[in-house]
Amino acid sequence: MELLRHIIFWLFAVLTVGSAVVVVFHPRVIYSAFALLFTFFGVAGLYVFLSADFLAAAQILIYVGGILTLIIFGVFLTAKITTLDIPHQTHQRYVALVPIVMIAAGLFTVVKNTVWPTAPLPHHPTTQVIGELLLTKYLVPFELASILLLAALIGAMRLARYYRKRED
Amino acid sequence: MTFLSSYDLWAALPESLLALTALLLLIADGARRGQAGGVTLPGISVAGLLASAVAAMSLWGQGGTVFGGLVFDDGFASFFSILFAVIGILTILFSPHYLRVRGMRLGEYYALLLLAIFGMTVMVKAASLLVLFLGLETMSVALYVLAGLQRSDAKSAEAGMKYLVLGAFSSGFLLYGIALLYTVVGSIGYEDIALYLAAGNRLSPLLVAGIGLLLVGFAFKCAAVPFHFWSPDVYDGAPATITAFMSTGPKAAAFVALIRVFGVTLASASSLWITAITWLAILTMTVGNVVALRQTSVKRMLAYSSIAHAGYLLVGIVAGTKVAFVGMGYYLAAYALMNLGAFAVIILLNRRSDSGYALDDLKGMGFAHPVLGIAMAVFMLSLTGVPPTAGFFGKLYVFSAAIQQGHIALAIVGLLNSAVAAYYYLRVIVFLYMARPEGDPMVSQPPIYRAALIVCSLLILLVGIFPEQLLSVLTLAVP
Repeated sequence: MELLRHIIFWLFAVLTVGSAVVVVFHPRVIYSAFALLFTFFGVAGLYVFLSADFLAAAQILIYVGGILTLIIFGVFLTAKITTLDIPHQTHQRYVALVPIVMIAAGLFTVVKNTVWPTAPLPHHPTTQVIGELLLTKYLVPFELASILLLAALIGAMRLARYYRKRED
Repeated sequence: MTFLSSYDLWAALPESLLALTALLLLIADGARRGQAGGVTLPGISVAGLLASAVAAMSLWGQGGTVFGGLVFDDGFASFFSILFAVIGILTILFSPHYLRVRGMRLGEYYALLLLAIFGMTVMVKAASLLVLFLGLETMSVALYVLAGLQRSDAKSAEAGMKYLVLGAFSSGFLLYGIALLYTVVGSIGYEDIALYLAAGNRLSPLLVAGIGLLLVGFAFKCAAVPFHFWSPDVYDGAPATITAFMSTGPKAAAFVALIRVFGVTLASASSLWITAITWLAILTMTVGNVVALRQTSVKRMLAYSSIAHAGYLLVGIVAGTKVAFVGMGYYLAAYALMNLGAFAVIILLNRRSDSGYALDDLKGMGFAHPVLGIAMAVFMLSLTGVPPTAGFFGKLYVFSAAIQQGHIALAIVGLLNSAVAAYYYLRVIVFLYMARPEGDPMVSQPPIYRAALIVCSLLILLVGIFPEQLLSVLTLAVP
């Protein structure tokens, strides 16, 4: 049983990281978009391992169902983008190595020196607890998030709407 | 149920009024579709901001928190809510003229401005990193759009795009830092984090990484060198009224959050971050000033000067005492008035279609328009830090707080930088008064616009000559 858990975990881990690498390095934007689907799916799997069932479901619904679909529609509706060669080569590679090595070394040190809690998590359903907290203790952040989304909505409409040149 | 009392709701009245005004503006804009100009939208905005300021004043924070410890209800928050309303009102008084000259559709401009101010007040009231983040994002999203509002203008579009991409990037750092802090502490309330640190727990590497990421995120938002690369282009490309707003209000909100998070909450772990912020302050002051020296566009010069002022303010965070925070509060209020005023003058005097805001445009305008000339001279002297303007006392309080705490080298770097800055601020006055105007010196000056400018410069002198009132209010209010 424990071995099975490990195998499934590593499958999800490889799926997440492997498809993330494709997202970054594939020259065609549409392939990157589809690879992103597997990254999101893999992350959802990792959430399940952490007993975060609500988060896993929300991840699939919102990221795979919503955001990814939006990206693919964006690709569809942008003329010629499928054949466009999106430059993914980096400028100043060797200069970039310095911060990359520094950040990687920093993260590695942090991961290595942290005492991680390893006790297995109890599998309790979390949805009800989250729902109750959102409408009681965290009511203010919940309402603030709705205003944030409203601002984003107004802003997106303002920028996307067609204006005649004189009016813009 | 005890999670919400009627007092909690009253304490949220200033913000609720701002959000309601923003919604009202959207409806009003829809109702008067097709009619350009008019005073309806600016009128509603100013009324809403005034109501919010009055509410904040009469519900002056009692100290402590509301909404179960998520939101501060202290005088510091009330003070800045009122300051943001004033910044908003001044920006709106300068806006109709600018929008008309640039041929921009009014539309959602005012609603987004109100939503940005809403986000700012949430930021200064946040007592939890979650609320802080939501306020910050509401403000930022509104500002991304406002910066890129002139879509047909390549520079404005670039400003909006750059701001969005780099802003989202820096929000990522901030969020990552918040997540790591939560992993260690088990809570993202300021009080819980402070208690955890005060309890003398071992500083785990995860906590150090979390604080580091938080600092990077904040440094981006305050445009501290070396995280400042977005700000000159954004400030230069955005509509000038929005640049004036961005360089004063949102910057003040970010610094108040910095005071609350680093100056108070993380104070007992200051050995971790104080060196980093000291270097940020030195670099920010120096780079901002040195690059500002070489600018020929006044708008870009003010953008770099805004970076330099962020450096002076960071000195206050390094000092880390109540006196320093009082000084920062005073400085932020004074800086808001002088920077808004300076932008308002260059908007009026910019007579070219390319929105270049060249220094040459100012030639001889001091004689052609005495009121504008004197107002601009006051703003520039205050930005330089010449007594008896408010700018002088702001610097004095922040630097003397640093000296009291033994950061003498840092204060000296600050003073040397102020001397360098004098060159480019005073050069503006030289251009105003020591040359003949090129071409026709006439510019239109709407009466309200003029009145707002005069109020700005009078307030700077008033606050500069009688600083005690503002200081005593702040001393009682500071956390």
